[in-house]
Amino acid sequence: MKSDIDLSYLEKVRSGQFDLGWLNNVTSEWGIKPKPSKIGLTLRDIFVGSYGDIPETAPRRTMAPRGCDIDSELPDMGYTINSKSEVWADNLLDLYEEAVSRQWSATRDIPWNELQELDPDVEHAMCQLATFLSEVEMVASDFPAKWMWRINHDFLEAKMFLCTQIMDEARHSEVFRKRALSNGGGLGKASPVGEEFLKLVLDAKNYDEGSALMHLLGEGLVLSVFRAGELIAPTHVEKKIFRLCMQDEARHVAYGTMHLRYRLERDPLLAEDFHAFLDRGEDLISMIVTTPQVVEPAAILATGSVKAAESIGDEASNILRIRMIEEYLQRCDRAGIPRRGRMKLPEQILEGTSANDVSKNPPQMVVG
Amino acid sequence: MMENESLFPNPKWLDYLVGLVKRDPDRLKDLGIADFRLAIKVEFEDGSNKIFGLVLDGYDVDSQGEISGIDSFKPEATLSGSFDAFKEMFDNIVENRGADKFHTLNTLSLAEFPLRISSDDPIGRDKFYRYAETLQVIFDSLGLEAAKSG
Repeated sequence: MKSDIDLSYLEKVRSGQFDLGWLNNVTSEWGIKPKPSKIGLTLRDIFVGSYGDIPETAPRRTMAPRGCDIDSELPDMGYTINSKSEVWADNLLDLYEEAVSRQWSATRDIPWNELQELDPDVEHAMCQLATFLSEVEMVASDFPAKWMWRINHDFLEAKMFLCTQIMDEARHSEVFRKRALSNGGGLGKASPVGEEFLKLVLDAKNYDEGSALMHLLGEGLVLSVFRAGELIAPTHVEKKIFRLCMQDEARHVAYGTMHLRYRLERDPLLAEDFHAFLDRGEDLISMIVTTPQVVEPAAILATGSVKAAESIGDEASNILRIRMIEEYLQRCDRAGIPRRGRMKLPEQILEGTSANDVSKNPPQMVVG
Repeated sequence: MMENESLFPNPKWLDYLVGLVKRDPDRLKDLGIADFRLAIKVEFEDGSNKIFGLVLDGYDVDSQGEISGIDSFKPEATLSGSFDAFKEMFDNIVENRGADKFHTLNTLSLAEFPLRISSDDPIGRDKFYRYAETLQVIFDSLGLEAAKSG
């Protein structure tokens, strides 16, 4: 690289001879003046003219900002995700703006000094749930981080959204770690079964597989856990934690659902691949409802004690299981990959749900 | 004597609630932008109902007041429940200066009883979760107002 440096340019500048090639030979679109919307200048506002054109297949593999003048000597960055449909979603621009706008601080925005001393069983249960969530949430940072550098720079907005997700999930790991350590308890027990799913996400062979497992399935289920967490939280402090996390998680699920739809609308033949990914990943549902580190703390939080949980905790976990599966099935419908009749989980897991009722599946997309 | 129009579920109750929120716009602005059309359907024992429209748009919140039907408002999701369920929630918010742990919107709707959230589109339904804190702050404004007026 050193040999490419033109030191004679320094002499020219000293003698007042500017190059000005960047100024005089411009071919990129000029005169763009977007009008800010009422919340400010958004990505959608600047999606104008040629700057709003995203190629279906990226013509180059450089970090050149989309729409700029291209120097032919720009290096190849080695991107492997060069098709728009591999990462895009119709709601992407708005989700990015929303994510940036709705950031919160686990340090500042949670009223930590209002935590209350809890019954030891309840504190143990809360700490165990916080341990589990702190454990699983970071995978949703690790996964996009693993793939982002492979995504072509022409799909910058998708990368930007994934950056917000990385920050969101870091904050979730932070807030649950802080909760476990802030009220006289501590961390509980890690879950080998849970980490098997995390490994499946991280080991995904491509972004399609990882995104289906994480954005649609994993985060959808965790969103249900956050909702349940808000319901059973022992005080308003934990309730606020769960509500704020719920908001972030729902954004990621919205991306995952609409990304998969975008992908399948453009390549319906991929549907069977996605079914196969979800076949492998749906064991997570069984894991969530059969792992004592998850089920029992939730039951104790819902009922207030170990004794009460043993007698009526099953009702609470049934409500969560059914809601979790139904909402997941509805998102699969929206994504264009109906899963009713396809789920391979034990009957005890699917009991009370519409998982086997194929008449509720929406019409399939036409392949071709 | 004419009944106070701002009392739930009279036609102006949602206007009143949104008016309270607008007195302190920074509370919503701090939570960030939102984009959501939520119908609130109050069901009465005689089988009748009243539907109200709430719109979150950027940093703004607006009431569409009582609306003639779901179709005209085009909500992305509908929060439904009996008059008694809503009344109990609002009374709780006023009494506790904000919903207690048994009366938050999510708590009351997760099991689809006594409130339920519904939508033809899961993306619309999930917006109820995406803006959970914003919606709770809006509804809790009734409690803050009660605190101010002693």
